[in-house]
Amino acid sequence: MNPLNGSKMDELTREFLIESQEGLDRMERCLTDLETNPQDTALLAEIFRSVHTIKGTTGFLGFKRLEKVAHAGENLLGLLRDGKLTANRQIITGLLQLLDRLRLILKCIETEESEGDGDDQTLIARLAELQAPAAPQPQPARAEPRTGASASASTPSSIAAPESQAIPQPAGSAASAQPAPQTSLEPELDPARTRSTAAESTLRVDVTLLNRMMNLVGELVLTRNQVLQATAADPKMTLLSRRLDMVTADLRESVMKARMQPVSNIFSKMPRIVRDLSQTLGRIVRLQVEGQETELDKSLLEAIKDPLTHAVRNSLDHGIEPPAVRQAAGKAPEGTLKLRASHEGSHVIIEVTDDGAGIDVEKIRAKAIERGMITVERAAHLSEREILQLIFLPGFSTAAAVTNVSGRGVGMDVVRTNVERIGGKVEIDSQPGRGTTLRLRIPLTLAIIPALIVRSRTQSFALPQGSLFELVHIPRSEDGVPDSSESRLTIEWMEGAPLYRLRGKLLPLVFLDRLLSPGVDASVANDRDNFIAVLDADGRRFGLVVDGLADPEEIVVKPLSSVLKDIGIFSGATVLGNADLALILDPGSIALKAGIDISKEDKNALEAAEAEEEFDAMRNQFLLVEAAGRRAAVHLADVLRIENVPLSRVEYIGYRPVLNFEGQLLPIEDSGGVLAAVEGNPEAKIIVVVCRDGQRQVGIAVSQVLDVAAGGDLFEAGTTVRTVGVTLLKERVTGMVDLSGVSPLPAEESATAEFSHAE
Amino acid sequence: MSSIATEVAPRTTTTPESISQTPLRAPARRLRKGTEVSASLVEVCSVRLGENLYGVPITHILEIVGAARPQPVPLAPPFVGGLVSYRGDVLTTVSLRHLLGMEPKPGSQDILVLESVEGCYGLLVDSVSEVLTVSSADFESNPSILDQRRKALFAGAYKLKGSLLVMLDPERLDPIHLSASQAASS
Repeated sequence: MNPLNGSKMDELTREFLIESQEGLDRMERCLTDLETNPQDTALLAEIFRSVHTIKGTTGFLGFKRLEKVAHAGENLLGLLRDGKLTANRQIITGLLQLLDRLRLILKCIETEESEGDGDDQTLIARLAELQAPAAPQPQPARAEPRTGASASASTPSSIAAPESQAIPQPAGSAASAQPAPQTSLEPELDPARTRSTAAESTLRVDVTLLNRMMNLVGELVLTRNQVLQATAADPKMTLLSRRLDMVTADLRESVMKARMQPVSNIFSKMPRIVRDLSQTLGRIVRLQVEGQETELDKSLLEAIKDPLTHAVRNSLDHGIEPPAVRQAAGKAPEGTLKLRASHEGSHVIIEVTDDGAGIDVEKIRAKAIERGMITVERAAHLSEREILQLIFLPGFSTAAAVTNVSGRGVGMDVVRTNVERIGGKVEIDSQPGRGTTLRLRIPLTLAIIPALIVRSRTQSFALPQGSLFELVHIPRSEDGVPDSSESRLTIEWMEGAPLYRLRGKLLPLVFLDRLLSPGVDASVANDRDNFIAVLDADGRRFGLVVDGLADPEEIVVKPLSSVLKDIGIFSGATVLGNADLALILDPGSIALKAGIDISKEDKNALEAAEAEEEFDAMRNQFLLVEAAGRRAAVHLADVLRIENVPLSRVEYIGYRPVLNFEGQLLPIEDSGGVLAAVEGNPEAKIIVVVCRDGQRQVGIAVSQVLDVAAGGDLFEAGTTVRTVGVTLLKERVTGMVDLSGVSPLPAEESATAEFSHAE
Repeated sequence: MSSIATEVAPRTTTTPESISQTPLRAPARRLRKGTEVSASLVEVCSVRLGENLYGVPITHILEIVGAARPQPVPLAPPFVGGLVSYRGDVLTTVSLRHLLGMEPKPGSQDILVLESVEGCYGLLVDSVSEVLTVSSADFESNPSILDQRRKALFAGAYKLKGSLLVMLDPERLDPIHLSASQAASS
């Protein structure tokens, strides 16, 4: 039956559909929560309200099938809400089935404008069955069937009145139970009221309209760029241009914000999926969700919905083991699945972590070889991380049996494709026996990115600043003759590949002009300026050699036809401030095309650099000591060890105290008079901080070692000259021990001289 | 560069029986997407390449852009004429001269914006000429003596008084189609 009879009805129906879908979504969330909190009256009330509202409106709009199904559900829900029944697994499953059926009918109405012809008898019977459980429950006083399509909640009194039973009850205990506490209904109304006022401050906007606004803002950005360029020279325009600039930036930010939605929109679907799946697969899983309020652009959110769902299915199917297996492995039978969303710079990170069996790297390796995806030799060279990446190849699946849920081999590669299509990345981390983490890295912004404009042979190109690490300017040489000084473009060649030595590290070079016109010789001419844009695309670092640089610009990314995208090195096009069209270069693809690898050398250099950084950080750490009431600091990096020795160990060379460590003499610096303080007591322990000073070691006698802390620079007032010999430790000016000031032992030198002579 | 459509030339003085030349009625921002005027009359937009006139059915034409200088795309397939900025998007153009094996023409060209699988694309021609109304009675399909390349591009011709208006099929000129057929043949 088609209740639609005109455009006015369409509007109403559309509203009804949207509201009902939302209501059912809410209901779903509540139902899964209910399973862990079966007595939660707020949840029960919410669920009841959702179904009741749908049923109410259906009567008005004439959707008979919907009304019948909703009514059946409402009866059961009424009992739950009134406390006459406690929600258990079967009941919740039944209600979820009800929800699915309602969704199905609504979908039918949406697409075909009719309710469809499905048979709901089985469902209705099941719902009736659930109302009368065999277990001892208080005999439910059958509430009066709802009259009419009133959407308001019935008053407490009408529920209490026992009426003729509309639904057959099994002969159970004759105990006449008291009706459920009626007080629960009253507070119900208040939350409903407050909820509506919250809703009044928001607006539902058509997504198409938002997209249009986004496009228009993009246009505005481009036009602003052009205006800024055109008026750069005119002093009268600067103030206006600046204002235009500010307003445009603001508007752009606001529109982008309008499109942001919290990830809870997709996370909220997960409890149901996890519940259903864990039941199907026979797993016990606890779902933890973190960072639900993290926001992402709506279209990006849509794009990751499926990949995320698939990742969750994968975790449950292949990750988390059945309870028996887990117990045998010494784990808790309940597995944990964690969904986490967070912001990191200009990206949103979404993690799906399970504490399951992890990914068996060897199995992957074997499977990949078996499928002919890689050769045996290549497989032997791949690191563990690289092997894990293989699961993203199309057609890959190590599932022994293709289950209905996953394992069809079409999963992970689709995840990666979908994520990469929106400019994101997928990473996977796994520890055998401990679990697996899938990490999605999604860019926050779409479409408008900061870029550097470069030129190659009179054409301009845009380089996304996200990949730009550094710029090197090699000025032209005066006489045209390349010399070996650092300022010249000295290229080193390794097996035919050009490299540039940047601060000691070798950087592979890619000449943009040669890349764009393959037949042409790279112009390494030293008679003009050269620029190297040092790019880093996922660890592939290289230098792009270009002829010229222009200003950085915020550009609007316009899509390219697939014919041009297939070229591989362009990710889009844009209109520049000077109205020229520029292609946007894709550093990642360029690196791949040029065969640039994450080279081992680079990796070592990277590790060395990191170690250096760590050392530098340590340089700023001090050991805070106290000697005879005064505090002093020693560079932590210089401290070798701390000795705690009895006074009797201290020996003297002349008047100098030393410690003898198996023939190695350690001069002790004791300006604090620590030794004198314990004179006469050979058992007294003294603390000596053994430090390195160049090639030698010195010991500093202290009364106490207080702490390790980071030091701060101190400057003489009014100057920027750092004062030496002092540091700011724990808010106090602390003198630094001058290790080099400790004079060397006179006996030592002659000893070594003797030693060497004795050779 | 502008994206204002060019005015089409006004009617000429001599009017042979079977065809009439109608100027565009509206100030030409968009061409009227007309269908066949009657069962036997078809409206065709004529374009000029060198000495020759070619026809494109008006139904596929979205707009005409004049005085365009497309931005070349390095490494693009050779039939790609370049990119132009069009209504806030970037339009891929196809060079008809290249497709017909003609020498590239210096200076600006006109663009016929045509519907495409992916939205729209531009056909680069020397200049856009008048809209002609032709009769289907005068239609001739491709002669068998035509070479492979031309057979692939041409969709028959209409006999005009003293000349032939060779018809082009916009769907076959779509860059996606061209790239696919190139891939197939190589």
